[in-house]
Amino acid sequence: MTDETPVLSLKDLHVGIDGNNILHGINLNIAPGEIHAIMGRNGSGKTTAAATIMGHPDYEINSGAILLNGEDLLELEAWERARKGVFLSFQYPQSVPGLQVGHFLRKSVASIRGDEAAKGPAFRDALKSAMEEVSIPRSFLSRYVNDGFSGGEKKRFEILQLMLLKPRLAILDETDSGLDIDGIRVVSRGINAAIRGSESGALIITHYSRILEHVKPDYVHVLIKGKIVKSGGPELALELEEKGYEWLQ
Amino acid sequence: MDNQVEAYLSLDDPPKSDHLWRYTSWQRAHPTGDSGSIPSDVSIPNLKLRDINGEDVEGVTLDFGQKLPIPFDGSPTSDAFMKAITHGKAILMTIPDNWNSDVPLVLEITTGKGIEAAHIHIKTGRHSEVTILTRIEGDCAWLGLLRTAETGVGSTLHDVVVNKIRHGSLLRVDSFKAGRDSTITAGTVSAGSKQTKADIRYMLDSTGANLKVLGSLLAAERMHLDHHIEIRHVAPNTYSRLNWHTACSGRSTSVGTGMLKIDKGAKLADAGQLFHNLLLSEKAKANSIPELEVEENDVVGCGHGTANGPVDESQRFYLMARGLSEKESEDALVAAFLNSTLSQMGSELVHAWLIKTVEDALDGLKQS
Repeated sequence: MTDETPVLSLKDLHVGIDGNNILHGINLNIAPGEIHAIMGRNGSGKTTAAATIMGHPDYEINSGAILLNGEDLLELEAWERARKGVFLSFQYPQSVPGLQVGHFLRKSVASIRGDEAAKGPAFRDALKSAMEEVSIPRSFLSRYVNDGFSGGEKKRFEILQLMLLKPRLAILDETDSGLDIDGIRVVSRGINAAIRGSESGALIITHYSRILEHVKPDYVHVLIKGKIVKSGGPELALELEEKGYEWLQ
Repeated sequence: MDNQVEAYLSLDDPPKSDHLWRYTSWQRAHPTGDSGSIPSDVSIPNLKLRDINGEDVEGVTLDFGQKLPIPFDGSPTSDAFMKAITHGKAILMTIPDNWNSDVPLVLEITTGKGIEAAHIHIKTGRHSEVTILTRIEGDCAWLGLLRTAETGVGSTLHDVVVNKIRHGSLLRVDSFKAGRDSTITAGTVSAGSKQTKADIRYMLDSTGANLKVLGSLLAAERMHLDHHIEIRHVAPNTYSRLNWHTACSGRSTSVGTGMLKIDKGAKLADAGQLFHNLLLSEKAKANSIPELEVEENDVVGCGHGTANGPVDESQRFYLMARGLSEKESEDALVAAFLNSTLSQMGSELVHAWLIKTVEDALDGLKQS
């Protein structure tokens, strides 16, 4: 890792929900330009970590700290964190019937990057180029947000938002789930375009190593029962694919 | 005393046990509250017909002073009262056979300050296709609007009523009869009036009639909005859907009562009703009571449902994760909720016109 201030620092993070402790002291630093992956079984706490960083109100932070570029996020609401540069690609994106995709994208870009970024030819060009990158047709703009979208369309739409919002930190919560190999390629292309060569960092949460063949992580961490039990380079993902999680229990 | 007045005065007040008058009594809907009287100082609101671009409309006529019956029996009380207060005279709007235009028509109804009433009858010709946007505005104390219609064989009617009366009361009585293989899309957009009592009825007694009824209503402050929608399937192969969305804020009360009747002989009828209320404050009240009366066994489907609840927290979090503040997220979700029915009321042009027409009301809702 570099000596620069990390994009994301999790410091001894303990989190629970409804009185049940789920995360038991997570420590993690993501430097600018780095892509980290967290892998783990169902119920290991991966989605809890993602939702907590984004500021989901249902999760109680019992102790620890979340820093974005050195700034404490704990007192900020989700929308304030989004405006600071945190982006979460949801595992199950919500549908909002009645809210048009085009209108939503403009509103979201204006909220996070300012009004100027959401209008004029620059916005239209960025939108066109991002839609091409993730193979989303123009007709999507008049559809309603995630309403009637297939699983693959929802995931590609999440990545389209990632590309337009240009966050400092992108958290991708099981973005590969439900995607076929072509879908994973398309989504990976979008992630690489948004993160590689930028000062942003990314945290990819996944069960499988498939997406990591297309978006090469700098570091891989294994989460078991709310704790990071092992960290390593990209080769760790392959080892997990081969051996499973049993040997790390 | 004319026959219409005599006919009304011979009736007893309807009981509150009647589905139609359960939440808004007839006395409350009456212009003076004295249900044994008919006000004498009633005027006709100003009517203006133009197309959506403000141009004159060719081929469509408005004829005043026509003696026209109500196409089928509805509520004896409101039918008789409206006939009496309009002296049995209607304004006939005629869409000729094969008349067809992509440009919607706008019927502006502008009230004065007192008690006003009108009966408008829409007659669409065979194979005609028309969109009529009726916008009601003004400062009246009370407006009674009787709207009747008969649609021609194979015709298509998009009929949207936008209520933007500022403070007064609206009594709306609709009786629409759908012709063979005709299609009616009926939209109600309510963004005004302190009180609305609407008795809206559709008769599908010709084979192949299609009906879609949509509501997009804003109940704010202390508004009382009560809509009764009755759809009766009489002929075989008829289809209807009702999708009624109401956003309730402040101390408002909204009522949606549906009555879906499938008569014996209405084989392969396909009908469904859904009322959905979005509750935006603890003091807002919403009552939705869909009812079914099915006498035919051989139907494609027949269902009803109702859903009440606050803004969905998962949707709100999703929008907040995209940078919208808590308030902006809620406003966006309210607008989306109303838009999901508004957008089905007509073409993109109609949709844009409707959004422009009610956007100030949406702002008002945000502040209440």
